[in-house]
Amino acid sequence: MSVLSAEAVGEAHRESFWRRHLHVFLLAPGVAWMVLFLIVPLIMMVYVSFWTQTTFAINSTLTTKSWSTFFASETYYGALVRTLRLWLTVLALTFIAGYPTALFIGQFVRNKTFQTVLLVTCVIPFWTSFLIRVLAWRPMLGKEGAINIVLEKLGLISGPIEVLLFTELSVIIGMVQIYVVFMVGPIAFMLARIDDSLLEAARDLGASPMTIFRKIIFPLSLPGVVVGAIFVSVMVLGEFATASALSGRKVNLLGNIIVTQVGSLKWAFAAVVGVVLTAVMAVVITGLLRLVNLQKEL
Amino acid sequence: MMELQGLTKSYDGVPAIADFSLDIRDDEYVTLLGPSGSGKSTLLRLIAGLERPDAGSIILDGTNLTGTPTHLRGLGFVQQKFGLFPHMSVRENIAFGLRYRQIDPVTDRNELDARVEDMLELVGLDGFGDRMVGEISGGQRQRVSLARTLICEPRICLLDEPLGALDANLRERMTIELQRIRSTLGVTFMHVTGNEAEALAMGDRMIVLNEGRAIQIDTPDTIFNHPGCVQAARFLNTYNILPGGMENGHFLSAGTRLAAPRGIGDAAHYVIRHDHIDIRAGGTEPREGFAHMEVEFIASEFLGARVIYFFRRPDGGVIEAERHLSVVRPKDIRRGETRVLHWPVDDVLFYDRDGDLLETQSSVLEAV
Repeated sequence: MSVLSAEAVGEAHRESFWRRHLHVFLLAPGVAWMVLFLIVPLIMMVYVSFWTQTTFAINSTLTTKSWSTFFASETYYGALVRTLRLWLTVLALTFIAGYPTALFIGQFVRNKTFQTVLLVTCVIPFWTSFLIRVLAWRPMLGKEGAINIVLEKLGLISGPIEVLLFTELSVIIGMVQIYVVFMVGPIAFMLARIDDSLLEAARDLGASPMTIFRKIIFPLSLPGVVVGAIFVSVMVLGEFATASALSGRKVNLLGNIIVTQVGSLKWAFAAVVGVVLTAVMAVVITGLLRLVNLQKEL
Repeated sequence: MMELQGLTKSYDGVPAIADFSLDIRDDEYVTLLGPSGSGKSTLLRLIAGLERPDAGSIILDGTNLTGTPTHLRGLGFVQQKFGLFPHMSVRENIAFGLRYRQIDPVTDRNELDARVEDMLELVGLDGFGDRMVGEISGGQRQRVSLARTLICEPRICLLDEPLGALDANLRERMTIELQRIRSTLGVTFMHVTGNEAEALAMGDRMIVLNEGRAIQIDTPDTIFNHPGCVQAARFLNTYNILPGGMENGHFLSAGTRLAAPRGIGDAAHYVIRHDHIDIRAGGTEPREGFAHMEVEFIASEFLGARVIYFFRRPDGGVIEAERHLSVVRPKDIRRGETRVLHWPVDDVLFYDRDGDLLETQSSVLEAV
């Protein structure tokens, strides 16, 4: 009898041990993953950026030489400025092109099935690989490309427009096309969630369609705009493939510099650019999250 | 004054509102009673301009509003789901119409603030202006929704089941509040509801709606005591409706002969109010001027001040009797026991095959 009860107590104790520490066991894999593949690499990157780089070797003597090279050199500092400029342009254009599309899908299409069909249609380009999507712009934009041929045949231009390919413009065109869907999705989602009764109430209170858009629809879709902007920003800031494929390596972004530096085994310098890029992204995301309280909205 | 003339609206060929006509006076409380699916919300949406009628017209003080867009009509519409703007505070919600309406917006900050404060006070929400709408209770949201509409001083305020989302306690309080607010402002209220008690209690006039048609328009008192047709009696939820037909001066309903007044026409429905029925011991002899029916007790429902007794009729249907405890002591009846129900023949209403009320001698006398 006493043996039995002692066993029962042991059983209860064991169970409560698992229960009490359940959250630890559930958290452990995630925490381990993040520490190994995010925290440690980040610390390493910052650490390596202060190492001493010689032409063919690298050693762990600490120095700020790579950092001063980055900010002193027109090439590298210019790449930072160019990345920021391109990011802002692409962000603005994806918003300008994406918002009306999302507004159409989320507010003007009343049929839920048709809404889903349209959103899936936006994703169809993703059925081909990223590089093919980028390279497909070359025969479109080139001197002998589709756009120039059509415009010439129509008699709208006499010679080919050369600025279309291997310029910053072609990089912008390519990036906007590739990333606009990440802006459309979240905005359309938020717009579709707006209850019709709100818009009917606003109409009944005497507000014109434009006022309803400015005061009700747009503010309520803002969380979608912020989520979309975060998606686009993170992807555009780290871009290198579109830039090198459509600019003929003339437009160098921070991402392109990392690729070249790693390619020539300049680890310390690549780490500097990596740290700068990470810092820029952190600032951008924090700034965007300040705009709306996402926790409350989603 | 607003005139609705022959309003008609169907969805996919199914009529929701059919040839609906009504005059709504100024400074009046109109209630509209109808079961769900009777087209009552559609009617309000047609008046508010949120739906287009297939035929008919809406005329406000001589101006035809039929084609006017919602935001230019100057009518108020308080929605069932409130439709409050979630990203704005209570104050901003209430100020919305005044501030952003296309016609004659109020731009002066001080005037706007003063009018919002007055409105908050009128609906009993002083001090809640800076809360977000997510931070207030259901009853308070109802008041914000009402205040937001009334601040625009609409000619007519349409209320779509305004008390439907509130619990019973709150509903009773809001009933009184709504009437107080209405008489303070002198606005016409058109209140749509599926609850007969609400429709009876609140309206100066009451409309009973069935399948998109107004089947009776009268004062609540008249509708309650003399439903114009058998459908109206059914919606009032306080009448026993016995089907059958006349035979040799008696009404024959599934094997029971019920006394009927002389000279009644071809009645097809024998209708008696729950509270006109008296419950007597089994075997009680019939009396002159009373109808009687032998029934079997099923159950009773205690409602505080009154009790509703359910009995099985000889034909298997259910007949209900209501007793007010201030008048009689509750009866202790066991399931399956036999009782005799009887009621004055003068209190019975008769309806013909089409459901229309038949004139009896007593009702003619009353009219004189």
